[in-house]
Amino acid sequence: MPEPPFGRPALLGTAVAATALGLLGFAGTGLGSAIVGETRHLGVEQKAAAGIDAMKTQYRRPASIPFPKENPYTPLKMELGKKLYFDTRISVSSAQSCASCHSPAFGWADGLAVGVGNGMAKLGRHSPTIVNAAWGAIFMWDGRLADLEEQALGPITSPGEMNMPIEQLMGRLEAIAEYKPLFAAAFPGEKMSPKTLAQAIATYERTVVSQRAPFDDWIDGNEKAISEEAKRGFALFNAKAQCSSCHEGWNFTNDGFQDVGLPSDDIGRGQFMPGVIKMQHAFKTPGLREITRRSPYMHDGSLATLEQVVEHYDKGGVDRPSRSDLMKPLGLTPQEKSDLVTFLKTLTSDLNPTSMPVLPR
Amino acid sequence: MRLTALIPVVFLGLSAGALAANLTISQKGRTFSSETATLKKGGTLTFMNDDSIPHNIMSTSAGNEFNLGSQPPGASTDVTFKEAGDVLVICAIHPRMKMTVKVTE
Repeated sequence: MPEPPFGRPALLGTAVAATALGLLGFAGTGLGSAIVGETRHLGVEQKAAAGIDAMKTQYRRPASIPFPKENPYTPLKMELGKKLYFDTRISVSSAQSCASCHSPAFGWADGLAVGVGNGMAKLGRHSPTIVNAAWGAIFMWDGRLADLEEQALGPITSPGEMNMPIEQLMGRLEAIAEYKPLFAAAFPGEKMSPKTLAQAIATYERTVVSQRAPFDDWIDGNEKAISEEAKRGFALFNAKAQCSSCHEGWNFTNDGFQDVGLPSDDIGRGQFMPGVIKMQHAFKTPGLREITRRSPYMHDGSLATLEQVVEHYDKGGVDRPSRSDLMKPLGLTPQEKSDLVTFLKTLTSDLNPTSMPVLPR
Repeated sequence: MRLTALIPVVFLGLSAGALAANLTISQKGRTFSSETATLKKGGTLTFMNDDSIPHNIMSTSAGNEFNLGSQPPGASTDVTFKEAGDVLVICAIHPRMKMTVKVTE
């Protein structure tokens, strides 16, 4: 596993502790740190909510999938990655594949409250979907992995998940005769390695993109594509309910970390940023595409339905120092809650079935 | 008085770099207004949240650590950099927000 992204928690803690004491804006004078001056409040006037046409311009689907220049797309790499993604032999038990927890049958998640790892043991968090991972800025609920290549190997080697030491896995794959020419074709001049394994799986994962949903047809101008209730829900999503402060853009996430006030002991991002108050109990904002196919919801799978999710946000969650300043009671009416749920359901497509690959022997 | 002095130097668009004695970095649209800024040791940057949501600007770069905590829209805070070197400044909440402050001797 890589080093946590923030390796100097003790030093940082000095400044953050001051914040915890309500001293934000203190004149920091500690040795070995920058000096933070007073905070001024400028009274910047927030613009009134944009009209619905202006809101809609923020949600247009992208024209192409972004691939990193260090790992560009090729069909052979993608096809190899698909075989590896669905191959149970990459787990120590030979019983789990990536698709066990990120299955196309469940919107590329698993339909369970929390994932199931090695030995059928329950994991601590909900299995996130991999839909639209190509656009991700950072990976895992707690952001501990920087890119999709790192993510591809993370669950394989994690003792609680697939529990497969990487060298043991490479030995196992090299012993499967039909894998060798596939790797050679996908990575000319390179040996089979953890790097090429990760690049192949990541390339396949980047091709898993949510398909056109009724919402997309509406964004593109078909006024009949979604109901009037859903349109009202979209307006609420962007204004009164403030959902779009975090669930923004066509994939409905800015990949930010927020404590949304769920009563869980899991500190999430706080594990890697121990001195930063707002990162305690904070988890990465998930996208909302294919949302109805992958209940239950939230990082802990604690809310069974979209109605329960909307109810949670309406109440505002547990009030604690780490809770996002965006979380507060919304005062939604029953009709508004219903409109929001109706809107969210328009983000699910008629997903085409995914064909299973024939695996090397 | 101080406010009027700062406003004219707010970067309105994304700038590749900035070199000045007293700069304001804006955060509108979940983006720092400049990817880099260069200043002398002891120089000050003003981080102004002119966005619609809170940000949490901070750095863990050795010698220049700081954490502004949750900075609400409309808040503006000065940070004075004491040590020479490259300082990675991030928003803890929004992982795409990154900039480098080059502090020279």
